[in-house]
Amino acid sequence: MLRYYLLLGVRNLVRSPLLTGLMVLTLAVGVAASISTLTILHVMSGDPIPHKSDRLLVPLVDNGPVRNYVPGTQPDDRQLSYRDAANLRRSGQGMRRTAIYDVAGAIEPERPDLPVDQAAGLAVDADFFAMFEVPFLRGAPWTAAEDASRARVVVLGKSRAEKTFGAQDALGKTLRMFGQDFRVVGVLDTWRPVPRYPRLQNGSGGALAGEDGIYIPFATATDLEIPNTASTSCDQDAAPKAGYAGFLDSECTWIQFWFEIASSSDRAALHQHLTRYAAEQRRLGRLPRDAPVQLFDVMEWLRYMNVVSNDARLATWLAFGFLVLCLVNTTGLLLAKFSSRAPEVGVRRALGATRGAIIRQFLAEAAVVGLAGGLVGLLLSLGALALIAQQARQLSMVARMDWVMLGTTFLIALATSLLAGLLPTWRAAQVTPALQLKSQ
Amino acid sequence: MLRMHNLSKVYRTQMIETHALRGFDIDVREGEFVTVTGPSGSGKTTFLNIAGLLETFDGGEFTLDGVDVRGMRDAARSRLRNEKLGFIFQGFNLIPDLDLFDNVDVPLRYRGFGAAERRERIEAALADVGLASRKRHYPAELSGGQQQRVAIARALAGSPRLLLADEPTGNLDSQMARSVMELLEDINARGTTILMVTHDPELAIRAQRNVHIVDGQVSDVLRHPASLVEGGGRTATSLQ
Amino acid sequence: MEIRPILSALLRSKTAPLLVAIQVALTLAGLVNALYIVDLRLAASARASGVADEASVFHITTSPVTKPSHEQAMAQRQRDLEVLRALPGVAAASWTNQMPVARSGTTSSYSIDRKQQRPSLLMGTYFAPPGLIDTLGLRLVEGRDFQPGDVLEIDESKDHPDGTFPTTAILSRRAAEALYPGTSALGKPVYLGTGASAPEMRVIGVVETLQTPFAQAGAEGEHSILIPLSVAGQYPRIAVRADRGQRDRAMADAEAALRKMSLAPRVVILRSTEQDRTGRYRNERTLAWMLVAVSGLLLLVTGSGIVGMTMLRISQRRKQIGVRRALGARRIDIVRHFVVENVLVSTAGIAFGLVLGLVLNRLLVTHLQLSPLPPYYLVGGALALWALGILAVSGPAWRAAGIPPATATRSV
Repeated sequence: MLRYYLLLGVRNLVRSPLLTGLMVLTLAVGVAASISTLTILHVMSGDPIPHKSDRLLVPLVDNGPVRNYVPGTQPDDRQLSYRDAANLRRSGQGMRRTAIYDVAGAIEPERPDLPVDQAAGLAVDADFFAMFEVPFLRGAPWTAAEDASRARVVVLGKSRAEKTFGAQDALGKTLRMFGQDFRVVGVLDTWRPVPRYPRLQNGSGGALAGEDGIYIPFATATDLEIPNTASTSCDQDAAPKAGYAGFLDSECTWIQFWFEIASSSDRAALHQHLTRYAAEQRRLGRLPRDAPVQLFDVMEWLRYMNVVSNDARLATWLAFGFLVLCLVNTTGLLLAKFSSRAPEVGVRRALGATRGAIIRQFLAEAAVVGLAGGLVGLLLSLGALALIAQQARQLSMVARMDWVMLGTTFLIALATSLLAGLLPTWRAAQVTPALQLKSQ
Repeated sequence: MLRMHNLSKVYRTQMIETHALRGFDIDVREGEFVTVTGPSGSGKTTFLNIAGLLETFDGGEFTLDGVDVRGMRDAARSRLRNEKLGFIFQGFNLIPDLDLFDNVDVPLRYRGFGAAERRERIEAALADVGLASRKRHYPAELSGGQQQRVAIARALAGSPRLLLADEPTGNLDSQMARSVMELLEDINARGTTILMVTHDPELAIRAQRNVHIVDGQVSDVLRHPASLVEGGGRTATSLQ
Repeated sequence: MEIRPILSALLRSKTAPLLVAIQVALTLAGLVNALYIVDLRLAASARASGVADEASVFHITTSPVTKPSHEQAMAQRQRDLEVLRALPGVAAASWTNQMPVARSGTTSSYSIDRKQQRPSLLMGTYFAPPGLIDTLGLRLVEGRDFQPGDVLEIDESKDHPDGTFPTTAILSRRAAEALYPGTSALGKPVYLGTGASAPEMRVIGVVETLQTPFAQAGAEGEHSILIPLSVAGQYPRIAVRADRGQRDRAMADAEAALRKMSLAPRVVILRSTEQDRTGRYRNERTLAWMLVAVSGLLLLVTGSGIVGMTMLRISQRRKQIGVRRALGARRIDIVRHFVVENVLVSTAGIAFGLVLGLVLNRLLVTHLQLSPLPPYYLVGGALALWALGILAVSGPAWRAAGIPPATATRSV
């Protein structure tokens, strides 16, 4: 019987193309607006590494000056100083750990007059690759021993390797950067987590877009006195002493740190350790604020870093407001359409249709409008997303539809049309058979 | 087949109560062809609506084909209507968005027949009224007489026990009206009970029995009215 | 015009008019807020950076492959400047550490008294030689530009005694007003940071406008300070002003010339201030156009909703209209009937929409840091929706007025 109702729905809709077109379009536009904004929100707020996002933790140690400090407020910066990062690297806490900062260098060409190719990426510890499950195409991460010996080794991102070496195998080749010869020990497969949670405050595209080209050992980078290219925050009261050594010894914050713990139940122990560490540092005359050490897992960190911008939220709110308008509008149009069919309802009721049968028939018709609206809406939202991706490069990685959103599109379209159909259908079902029989 | 005893129906608005039917008695036997006449507002349409289970009534008894329909719920009445009754209306009441085949299909769908049986019944019913060749036409493409034939086919397709007709020839010219009337008589001859409301004294007296309603009550029952064709003036007078 | 019968007719069949009123309310609430945000964003992206002729200005960032010594870096910078100034089509060139709206640079906090607990103001900090003001085309409204004697050169790889810092500074007008409200900042002190060792500078000039590299929303985006400090820096930057209309050629020439004269390999990146502006405000513009599109759709959908609803009411009342015409109503009377009916419905919707719009704005203020909606948006929005309603209703109403009086006598 459902098939009969759907068939009737399609036929009725096709027979009044103008009104149907208007309804389908109204619904499609509303659905497209909400789906395209929701897609962006969905991707922005998604869990980039669901199976271990509660085991990857960011520590935050507030090393700001006691002046200007209001207890209970958040630290001035969301990174660590080299001193804290170095201590945590040595701490042996957690199953794995890595410090991260942004480096940008130039790959030296053979002749000085050739254009220099710039390569941006991260200085990380060997554990980085295992912690974030970075896929390797060739080779492997460098070893802990190479970390310790400050080896001149580099892992290349996929597009970086292709750009520099073309079709050749990059593994084992040498790159001259930062005045040194770096040996390529690994080449990554495509790896573009969205958001770029390991290093949100990066200098190469921001939290959502961009890709790292080179990965070098953290110890090597600091040994070569390579500066951080992302944000560095120094307090004026504690300006660093001259030179790189002075900078490393300062309370400037510029390093991102991550722990991986074996099980989420180890989090409390790690937190305890960090609290003890802070107390010990305070005894040594640092960390005058006496603020508690904070620990964030991946999702907490994304929220803390406000990865989902207010603009994205605003757009989603407005889009759903718009969808409500489209809902009301479709209700009106369906009411017009259904009430003009009161005679038909009278006849059907006289011929034995129960009220339920009428309700099912008209809801099925509304559902057909919904499905058509969903289909057109899907096309419109793909168009809208393409347009958004083109307009804002920051959003190009998030303006992508996945299967979940595809399903959601039809669900929203169907729910909206059925909701819009409720009132008109109920009214249609109220038509008493007797009244409509006398004349047409 | 259809039996009403002391039936009453009251329409209420905020200010007035109108007694559409009161103390209404009628007994239609199986295989009969009964016509119903009466002046405007006499209650004949109310009677037909109640007989067709389209409206409820307030008091009295009503059994349809042996089923007591008092206090029956809407869904049950719909099913009974679907299985036992066929309707023919003055305005034909075909669904303009459906072609002839699908129009005749409507009650069969609600009946829950399988696809093969529906097809068989629809084709037979359309053939019966001489429109088999036009099953994919839409109502708007047919003349009034043809539309009424489709309506009759639709009413008959479900093999109803009782056919209710409300001024079936009211919108037709006299030639078409006669042919529709002949069709109905033919159907009656094959065993279907028919109850027909009409204004037309000529048609009224062609039936086996004529029931005349005035002020919501049966005022007169004429048996074998055909014998009165010569002195038909009496019926005509009472219609004024 | 008799309003009472129209009103009572409306109240007898409430559903359709109610739906229209709800649509009008939702549209008004969405429209005023969306357009207000559009206006804020577009106004923000149109703010002056202080650069007089943005179409002529570009900047060059060079980053050497290996870190040069302080002396090497300074020599390279001097030679780059000489080469650039010699190019045809280049009007002026100066070194700097950052450019307005370029989204990369330094921000520091300043105070007007060393004993302050908290600094007074966070300012975008330009390290500028004499002549940067001219290169960028900033308008000096008080005091003077730096002179060569003001410039202090510091080798960052060496230690310096506390307080080694330039002693002069130039402020943007907004910064000067924020530090010294009501009086001229000229000749007054500015300290980098707070505390006893905070370096002291005297304000020797004020420029009309100079945005920070980040061009933040609000006054913050115009809090800038120029300090005559010469350091090698991580990324030496040179600002260039080309002759009018010569920028693209000058950029190409400059790139070629700098590559040719490089002693050691280095990365050379050129960007025009126009590119910087586009990049800085891309998200603002995207959002603005998205909101404009949604606003247009709001009006379109509501307009079509009103048309549909009017057509429904007309088809329900064909006979009634015929009767009215038969009784002597002119076409204009019929049109007026529907227009008045619509105005009544719209007014109800607008009244509700104004409340809804304010509620929505309140939500946006508390959750998304929007500023409160100015009242004239509500007035404008209300007028727009009245107009939309009358416009949408008049088409079907004129067609209704064409219903012949004979309809009254026809039974079907």
